[in-house]
Amino acid sequence: MPIELTGYRGWEGKPRGSWRSVWAIVRSGVLMILRRWVFWLLIGLGLLNFIFNFAFIYLKATLTVQNEGMAQFLDNYQVTGTGEAYANFMQAQASITALLLAFAGASLIGADYRQGGMVFYLSRRIERRHYIVGKLLTVATIVTMITTLPALLLFAQYGVLSKSLDYFIDNPRIIAGIVGYGAVLAIVQSLLLFAVAAWVHRAVPLVMCWLGIFVLLEALGSAAREINDNRTWLLLGIWRDMHRLGEWCFGAREASRPPTSAQCAAVLAGVCVVCLIVIVRRVRAVEIVR
Amino acid sequence: MSLIELHDVSHHYGSVCALQGVTVSLQPGAIGMIGQNGAGKSTLLKILLGLVRPSHGTGAVLGRNIRGSGAELRGSVGYMPEAESMVPGLRGVDLVALAGELCGMPRKHALRRAHEVLSYLGLDEARYRRSEEYSVGMKQRLKLAAAMVHDPELLLLDEPTAGLDPDGRDSMLSLLASLATRHGKSLMLSTHLLGDIDRVCSQVVIVDRGRVRGVGRISDLRAEYRGRFRLRWSGAATAFLESLRSGGVAVTVNGRPDECIAEVPEGWPTRRFFELARRDNFTLREVHPQEEDLEAVYHRLIQT
Repeated sequence: MPIELTGYRGWEGKPRGSWRSVWAIVRSGVLMILRRWVFWLLIGLGLLNFIFNFAFIYLKATLTVQNEGMAQFLDNYQVTGTGEAYANFMQAQASITALLLAFAGASLIGADYRQGGMVFYLSRRIERRHYIVGKLLTVATIVTMITTLPALLLFAQYGVLSKSLDYFIDNPRIIAGIVGYGAVLAIVQSLLLFAVAAWVHRAVPLVMCWLGIFVLLEALGSAAREINDNRTWLLLGIWRDMHRLGEWCFGAREASRPPTSAQCAAVLAGVCVVCLIVIVRRVRAVEIVR
Repeated sequence: MSLIELHDVSHHYGSVCALQGVTVSLQPGAIGMIGQNGAGKSTLLKILLGLVRPSHGTGAVLGRNIRGSGAELRGSVGYMPEAESMVPGLRGVDLVALAGELCGMPRKHALRRAHEVLSYLGLDEARYRRSEEYSVGMKQRLKLAAAMVHDPELLLLDEPTAGLDPDGRDSMLSLLASLATRHGKSLMLSTHLLGDIDRVCSQVVIVDRGRVRGVGRISDLRAEYRGRFRLRWSGAATAFLESLRSGGVAVTVNGRPDECIAEVPEGWPTRRFFELARRDNFTLREVHPQEEDLEAVYHRLIQT
């Protein structure tokens, strides 16, 4: 493989702004995940859930035309069409996303510390903030692709297959709920993943930490609530907090006892702020020259 | 316009002084940077890349202020780190194109340029392989491709030949020399291998314990040493050596009885050796100007 600079040509274009480079970080990160078949196992699980719901809406629409009694029977189960149904769908999708992120975090962020990705990014025409925003948006995009986007598709499908398009006009809260719950999932999970992966770079410890945050904390919260007979302890369960806030986005009735949506929002906001501080401290540009 | 202009630049990490009073003015071309571990080379590179604001002093790289123009500065500079700098999972061409996009190139331009640069560097057949599957030598070329994809005016290269076999090293040095001489690129080569600098660079910066001990054209630094000669003779040289000493020449006899090193004062003509030898009826067999290699220059400047 000889090195031959004959005919070397320079580049004379005008460089674009640094914020445009954030999109390149997002695209390469998402493509990296989509190119690995291991991650497709989990993405496939999410797709199965989506296809199940998609088929159910189609079946219901067909039955509504052919046998209205059967359609009313199916309505009793509220599997589709209602805010609660979309919230449950998104929670199921979010569980798959959390599992995917637990494994993908080591490649998306941990590898930047282990294999010099940080050096690669920060020695270019971008600042730390562009790198951090790029990585956060990468995770948020993956979360949105598996939770919000399918939910919006199902909403659109349900509306289109309804008797009239009034479904869209009558249910603006559902769209707000999907977008709101999706935003909660994307923001919290992206910040949490970045903060954890910035400390724990390898896959196995990262998965353990991730499970600790979502499963162990929830179990600890439940146990503390039993012992102290104080429901405020339930706020420790970040997963439950996200779902509670998501339900609030869909317009669910506010609980009279803790944890309330406001308390959940406060806890999640606190977690996000801590994560952001950790991230900023862990991404140090000066490390690129050793 | 100078390529790099630093004036009284100092930098402290807490109480540790990493750089002290660095004042250099380097012209475009190939520049070598030598220094021991912990001498301050990395800090200097960080300052030149706009990653660290110096505690004291001012300066400019390619006319851009080293204070406050970090990202803009890095847009005109290509950096090839010594450590691995890969994004796992990306193919070679995607990695180089991503580097281009991060330097502000539009996607299409970056991709086209990535193909071109990989082709120049002899990686065209491996461009669709994932970067983690590359050999050490190929990774070095890939890092260089990522550094030069946006066609920077200045390339900062940290140990570019580390881990390369002799052929690979030879190719890399030829490439760097060609970039500097034929394609008008400026290079700053930070390395411990003085031979690499000797072969590629025309200027050198010698850093030691946070201070710049020597800076300038290698030929000029050698010229500072041109007042030294190795003299060989036959017979007794006592009178001759006395004549030299009385003429202001510092004479050092190194073990051998028929040889000495003579350091002559400014303006001493070489023919004066022969005039003195004729006067003392003495046979001077050899007058050899001392040629200093870069290693000797380095050691001499460090000691002073």
